[in-house]
Amino acid sequence: MAAPFRRMASRPLLQLLSCFSRTATRNTGFRQFSSTSLCRATLQTDCVTERASSPWTLMAAVCLQRLPVISADDTPIEQQFRQLMQQMELEKSLFSDHEIGLLEDAERLRRKQSNSYESDEEEDSRNQDIVLTQDLEDSWEQKLKSFEPAPRVRADVDKDLTSVERCLADSLVLLAEQQVGSEKLWLLPHIQWQEGETLRQTAERALASLPAAGFKATFLSNAPCGVYKYKLPKAVRTESSVGTKVFFFRAILSDSGPPAAPNSSFVWLKKSELQQYLKPAYMTKVDRFILDL
Amino acid sequence: MCTYMSLSRQTVPLSLLSGEHHHAVQSPWFAPVVTLKTSAPLRAEPKKKKKVDPRREQLLRDRLKKKLRRLEKVPPEYIPIEDFITPAKCKDETRERSTPSLSFEEKEGRALLLKEWSHYKREQHMAEVKAIELALEAQREALEELKLESEELYEAALKPDPLLFPFSHEGPVNTPPKTQYDAPDGKYNDITRVYTQ
Repeated sequence: MAAPFRRMASRPLLQLLSCFSRTATRNTGFRQFSSTSLCRATLQTDCVTERASSPWTLMAAVCLQRLPVISADDTPIEQQFRQLMQQMELEKSLFSDHEIGLLEDAERLRRKQSNSYESDEEEDSRNQDIVLTQDLEDSWEQKLKSFEPAPRVRADVDKDLTSVERCLADSLVLLAEQQVGSEKLWLLPHIQWQEGETLRQTAERALASLPAAGFKATFLSNAPCGVYKYKLPKAVRTESSVGTKVFFFRAILSDSGPPAAPNSSFVWLKKSELQQYLKPAYMTKVDRFILDL
Repeated sequence: MCTYMSLSRQTVPLSLLSGEHHHAVQSPWFAPVVTLKTSAPLRAEPKKKKKVDPRREQLLRDRLKKKLRRLEKVPPEYIPIEDFITPAKCKDETRERSTPSLSFEEKEGRALLLKEWSHYKREQHMAEVKAIELALEAQREALEELKLESEELYEAALKPDPLLFPFSHEGPVNTPPKTQYDAPDGKYNDITRVYTQ
């Protein structure tokens, strides 16, 4: 994911100036120090001054996905096509050893019933040793029936929004109820960025800071997959904090850990159910990188 | 006996007379010990053995080495790809199924279903491509915003993650896994043929 974006680092400054129009103070603060050929030491000191001048607070959020555990059900056209394919393959195929065994057994039975008993005495001694293929098939069917697979769909678990086991055929996203400003909102778990750590570490901290969460996740890359920025209402806006930028990082759930208490403030939702819980502006931004494939 | 004696008496004085003048041997029975080494047949044979035999042995060895080298130069046999060799079982005629003839309606139905399927699959594919493009666009925007924020974090975001790979994930199965299920051990005999060159 990061490879195609390396080109951006080498774009000339003029292009950048024209593309992104920001406030004047921000521009000068940024342009003086931004250049890819600077050494690390100057960058760090400049970063502090840069961060101090930027009015946006940084936050990192984690988009934790539980990938589907069972295959999805077939749509009607898929069912029809599956049947058609099986039929066509059967027509084009040759007889297998098992089928030839069945045919030969049928032949032998027919001959035994139609012929006189003289020739049967010779065959009787042989038949006692031979196992009919039909018997083999029956014994295999018996063994299959003795195994009971776990049910694919469990309606009661599906309704429990906090359980990881719900809707095993779809991919689920974790939402947490967190305090933003003065109100409690449902959104992807996020936390404020601190000095000295990369945004990915912030996202990992966000995941770990969830109450009663024993989630083990694999973060997919160092680069964020989406961004949502909002400006604070004018009453609260100051020189140094105009708004917040939330960077989203994608992670795949590897181990859910112990089941959470029912009062926990997080919820596992399918992509179609996200609409009910998220605010519309947030939803449009988040909708793009949550893949339901 | 007496004739021999008389002959020997006659010949001896002749030889003695000649022997006084010549040192060369006249008859082999009376040759002195010193002249053994210098006689012509005795001189030549041992030296001939020393020359020819080592040469002959060396020539033999060289010929053998040349033969070995010629044998080694032959390229090794290719390992046969078993997938490309149809087993004799499949060419057995008794195994062919009697194909039932399909009615016209059924053929039409099949053709229509195949067309619908290709349409459906194309829609699915276009939707997937679109979704991936949207996700990439979202990421590009995020990286632009990050670059505006801080150069250092941007550089850190661009670095590849060495700990990510090898990454493996079990795909969707037909039925969910049963908790506390003791799966029976599967025994198998591996009969794959291993070829060495």
